[in-house]
Amino acid sequence: MIEKIHLYQVVVVAISSVMLFQGIKEFVKRESGQTILKLLVRLIVWGGMAVIAIYPNISYKFSKIVGIEDNITAVIVTGFVFVFLIIFKLLSAIEKLEQNVSELTRRDSLREAHERIEQLRQDIVSEDRSRQDRS
Amino acid sequence: MNARIVIVIPVYNEATVIGEVLAEIRKTGNFSIIVVDDGSRDDSFVQASARGALALRHRINRGKGAAVKTGIMAANLLEPDIVVTMDGDGQHDPADLSVLVQPILDGIADVVLGSRTLNRHEMPKTKVVANFFGNFFTWLLYGIWVSDSQSGFRAYSKYAALIIDTKADKYEYDSKVIREIKTNRLKYAEVPVRTRYTEYSQGKGQKQGLVNGLITLFRMIWNMLT
Repeated sequence: MIEKIHLYQVVVVAISSVMLFQGIKEFVKRESGQTILKLLVRLIVWGGMAVIAIYPNISYKFSKIVGIEDNITAVIVTGFVFVFLIIFKLLSAIEKLEQNVSELTRRDSLREAHERIEQLRQDIVSEDRSRQDRS
Repeated sequence: MNARIVIVIPVYNEATVIGEVLAEIRKTGNFSIIVVDDGSRDDSFVQASARGALALRHRINRGKGAAVKTGIMAANLLEPDIVVTMDGDGQHDPADLSVLVQPILDGIADVVLGSRTLNRHEMPKTKVVANFFGNFFTWLLYGIWVSDSQSGFRAYSKYAALIIDTKADKYEYDSKVIREIKTNRLKYAEVPVRTRYTEYSQGKGQKQGLVNGLITLFRMIWNMLT
């Protein structure tokens, strides 16, 4: 049972909900690159964070298993979560930029070769025709 | 072979061998050849153009996957029956082209994967081990077990060449194609191909070594999370 709601619980649950919603929406819409495995990973990572935020007692069991029960752990873990979120966001942005650069490079090379591609296409078509005429 | 076959070759600093590779391909049949120069610092583009290939040029290096995708997009404009991808360093034997495209001509496959490991005795032991891990993680992440997930010698039907779409720019492209096969429920086949491990092809720094392999694995896992 939840006795008292803390700010961090609201923040973590809100972020997790957005990430889960996006993942499920992308999967349901069958957007490019969305697989069941990717959805499962999202559910485990972000769902796990939400569950721990809502039911913190679960983390006590975990901390007993791991063997870290110090109060300072909470501070370190909070900082770690923030750093993780920032890195996650930055790497996603870099990945997106990389993809955009590749797409621009691709369009540029195809535009540059457009006339030569069209010429080759016509050559192939006329070659096919003459082959058909011969046979 | 009456099918219209377009061969796509991504190259990066292959000026010394690309001419020979193209000449060898020409000996095996009348194919249209597209060479994608992925921002080379040498004159790969000039060499490929001079030997009659349709040469495209990336102004900056974007990786093997990006170059292959550019080549396939250009190939699709030529309305081919089959698109074949092969490496530009001469490690693939053009004599295997007929074996590679046969399952598509027979209508039993949309994608044919040239497998180096089906001729494993020719493969260096380090490559066998690296390839196993590549296959394992491809299976783990994308759900299909293939004998050579990192082979660049592949054939695609017209339909597969149009439908396969991945944003992978680097070496993970080859594994992403496996994912696309599963996602789009394409029929696939594997055929054994010979690989010529020359001093030249083994000596190139940008090829899949241990570090590049780990980076590729990281990219595959990262793409699962984001």
